[in-house]
Amino acid sequence: MLKQITLAMLATIAAAPALAFEPARPVEFVVTSGPGGGTDNFARTVQSIISKHKLMDASIVVTNKGGGSGAEGFVYAAGHKGDPYKLTFGTNNEYLLPSVAAVPYKAEDLTPVAALALDEFLVWVNGESKVDDIKAFVAAAKAEPKAIQFGGSQSKDTDQILVSTIADATGAEFRYIPFKSGGEAAVQLAGGHIDANVNNPNENRGQWQAGMVKPLCVFRPDRFPKSEPVHDGKGWNDIPTCAEAGLAIDSYRMPRTVWLPAGVDEAAVAFYRDVLKKVSETQEWSDYVAKTSQTSQFMAGDDFKAYQTGDRENVRKVLKREGWLVE
Amino acid sequence: MGNFGYLMDGFATVITTHHIVIMVIGVMLGILVGVLPGLGAPNGVSLLLPLTFTMDPISAIILLSCMYWGALFGGSTTSILFNIPGEPSSVATTFDGYPMARNGQATRALTLAFMSAGIGALAGVVMITLLSTWVARFALQFSSPEFFAVYFLAFASFIGMGANAPAKTLVTMMLGFALATVGMDTISGGLRLTFGIPDLIKGVSFLVAVMGLFGIGELLLTTEEGLRFDGIKARVRAVDVLKALKEMPRYGWSILRSTLIGIWMGITPAGPTAASFMSYGLARRFAKDKSQFGKGDPRGIVSPETADHSAGTSALLPMLALGVPGSATAAVMMGGLMIWGMTPGPMLFIERPDFVWGLIASMYLGNVVAVLLVLTTVPLYASILRVPFSIVGPVIVAIIFSGAYQIANSTFDMWLVLGFGVLGYLFKKLDYPIAPLVLAMVLGDKAEDAFRQSMLMSNGSLTIFWSNPLVGGIMALGLLMLAWPVVAKAVGLRGIRRGSATTHSAKL
Amino acid sequence: MVEFERGSVSRKTMEIVTALLTAGAGLAICYGSWRSGIGWSDMGPEAGYFPFYIGVLVILGSLVTLVRSAFFYQHDGEIFLDSKRARPVLGFFLPVGAFIVVSLLLGLYVGTALYIFGSMKWQGGYRWWVSALAALAVTALFYLVFEIGFQVPLLKGPIEGWLGIY
Repeated sequence: MLKQITLAMLATIAAAPALAFEPARPVEFVVTSGPGGGTDNFARTVQSIISKHKLMDASIVVTNKGGGSGAEGFVYAAGHKGDPYKLTFGTNNEYLLPSVAAVPYKAEDLTPVAALALDEFLVWVNGESKVDDIKAFVAAAKAEPKAIQFGGSQSKDTDQILVSTIADATGAEFRYIPFKSGGEAAVQLAGGHIDANVNNPNENRGQWQAGMVKPLCVFRPDRFPKSEPVHDGKGWNDIPTCAEAGLAIDSYRMPRTVWLPAGVDEAAVAFYRDVLKKVSETQEWSDYVAKTSQTSQFMAGDDFKAYQTGDRENVRKVLKREGWLVE
Repeated sequence: MGNFGYLMDGFATVITTHHIVIMVIGVMLGILVGVLPGLGAPNGVSLLLPLTFTMDPISAIILLSCMYWGALFGGSTTSILFNIPGEPSSVATTFDGYPMARNGQATRALTLAFMSAGIGALAGVVMITLLSTWVARFALQFSSPEFFAVYFLAFASFIGMGANAPAKTLVTMMLGFALATVGMDTISGGLRLTFGIPDLIKGVSFLVAVMGLFGIGELLLTTEEGLRFDGIKARVRAVDVLKALKEMPRYGWSILRSTLIGIWMGITPAGPTAASFMSYGLARRFAKDKSQFGKGDPRGIVSPETADHSAGTSALLPMLALGVPGSATAAVMMGGLMIWGMTPGPMLFIERPDFVWGLIASMYLGNVVAVLLVLTTVPLYASILRVPFSIVGPVIVAIIFSGAYQIANSTFDMWLVLGFGVLGYLFKKLDYPIAPLVLAMVLGDKAEDAFRQSMLMSNGSLTIFWSNPLVGGIMALGLLMLAWPVVAKAVGLRGIRRGSATTHSAKL
Repeated sequence: MVEFERGSVSRKTMEIVTALLTAGAGLAICYGSWRSGIGWSDMGPEAGYFPFYIGVLVILGSLVTLVRSAFFYQHDGEIFLDSKRARPVLGFFLPVGAFIVVSLLLGLYVGTALYIFGSMKWQGGYRWWVSALAALAVTALFYLVFEIGFQVPLLKGPIEGWLGIY
């Protein structure tokens, strides 16, 4: 009994500051991409939902720090140790970048707050390509090693890691050509200058609508939910998952994540977690997720940690195999 | 003609008091962000974006695009008045715009710039109206080798042979290339030339370099010469605006040539910056009398401005028709389109013709509104120069350094600006040309990316640059431009005679 | 040789100094790119390939300028800067340096206000209250435009903290 009371009291003391944290000045949303990038849209959507539903009293300032594939923003946040007013938006690049480049921050320099969504990856080919399913695609690649050109955004980043994973799973060999953004890779594919890309749904939707590119399969554990047809009577739901189409990769996705600098109070983390949780429950959030064909999935605390550990391990395996790992 | 009917519908949507007011507000806000070197169009547009969530898409895109036009105009204003380009694409305007303003003809310089900018923009919109479908398909033909060829052509037409001190030109140009490579390398995903300095991973911002080299460097020279800005005693009269307008027809050829260059560079899409440099370079190359270039030649203002704006407007076409943003600002607008529930891309023209043609109609009107607004305010801007230097100087310095800080919230950048200022001062006094450095910095990393992508595509074979008529043609044109002074001499063309070939970039 | 008055720098000296400076930059570029690999792999040029040769060209260009300045100099006798002209330049440059340092310590708003006040008062010769008024007006305008209007924060220092402005 006494023990329980003590515990309860301790809990109250511990909880007191948690209730007490409330931003007293403007919160800076540090966006680790340039204006118009995927992370930028993510952060600005969150911002607009927070202000529309008044989920937070303090005002919000958004700053873009997309230099060095987002390293600029993470270094900036890492430099503000213990500052609960720097909320940083990113993807899995937070823990990926330090593994592939000599960036001046460590993954541990930021505290995870939450992940709000998972962005999907698909294999796309040109709309006039003779290949109609992933099996034929892989067979074509095997017939002529290193002839198929995969375009993607950046180097040693999610896109190239996925291409390497596909190569490893199938034994086919590809050539990877890095572009500045997924948008550029989309246009190069539409123009027939490259053979395939692994863009997110949002980056290729416009070209698919016009039939300039077509999807082969999606790296989701299950199919997309039912939606309106996009092109030629086919919608997102009609795209087979890669596993069911014969490419043995069950799932490859990119989380949309939010971070605080290391050393902030647990209370501040809890505050933002709650705000973001509320954001993820609004209609506007569902609209954003549906429009960009992402999957809404709120993860925080241990869930998020477990996810990160798993993701990191998978990625590091690829990095090690390719010899990209920087220690 | 279907497009024409759609366009008329577009005008009907756009010509309402509500939309005209939005245009005026957008243009004025744009001029403000364009004038302040740290802000710039992408910042301004992303800032207004949340405001537009509750507006209907047509009003929203009118607001954002008009802000973009305004920012383009604002950028030229500071180039001419203070030698500080507000946007990368207005760097070339400083070469002759600033000297002309220093000669006491600020009104003339501003009027010429605004008017030719307006003509360029309208030409761009007309092209979009007439050729949208064809151009969209044409732009799809461009891949990395073609991009490299276009950048090469831009370089070749700007950098002529026979500069005053070739060694010095070489040094500044190569320094520009080196500065462009600092930071994350797209192709290898590693960091380059950062020397372990965290502030360098984002790279050296072009604006930081320009604010230092041009802005602070120029202020240092000004103070040394004891020339205060109040030395410019020219009266500012509204009549001067009309006078400058009257001389516009004289530059018809320059304008036509620059429009074509601008549209070509806008849709390819190599962008407005490359267009303005290329247009300036060609204007100088084909001029019979080159002696005034760099000292305030009107053709040196008209050409880059026309090309800049026609490229700026044509660059919106790839965004609408292909879903490729041609510039940072277009990228933000595309984000907006998605939030308003539209998918930029080929289907937009078919699914939402009301929106697309409303936007195009607003481009006609928005640019007219912008030109009228800036022209009427020319005397106001020009009179800033009459404020004594001991007031204007410190204010410019304060604006430069707050701008430098704002680019990346980095105090390191403030020191960089100061360093570039000293460098700019040294270079100017010792006749090192600065323009090649700036051009190399803007196009260098893009050209390198395109080159290395091409090498990946071709397995390291240089023949990819001659692999189809398009890329081969552009490369050949580039080589011709590079060798132009020699070719011209051989063929015996007028204008390239003994001595005159040495004026290249010496004064820049 | 031309005799220079005391306290002046000849153009020749500055040409040599600048050439040495750019050559040094070239060396740094070469070293930096050498660290990222300067070969030509089967994937095309490596990250340091272009920058390395860029560095080499910078060094070459600098050497040419150096040799020309040292041995075949056309601007003999030209003065780069003498003490009379150096004064206004330093009078402009040093306050700018001070402005940056003060801004780093006290924030850009305080720095701007002090800098404009100082320049107008001591260089422009305006009365103190005119300078102070102008300084305050410009700073207030900055605050309105940047902080309120466009919501881009400028660097702030302790004084804003005391006033409760973040």
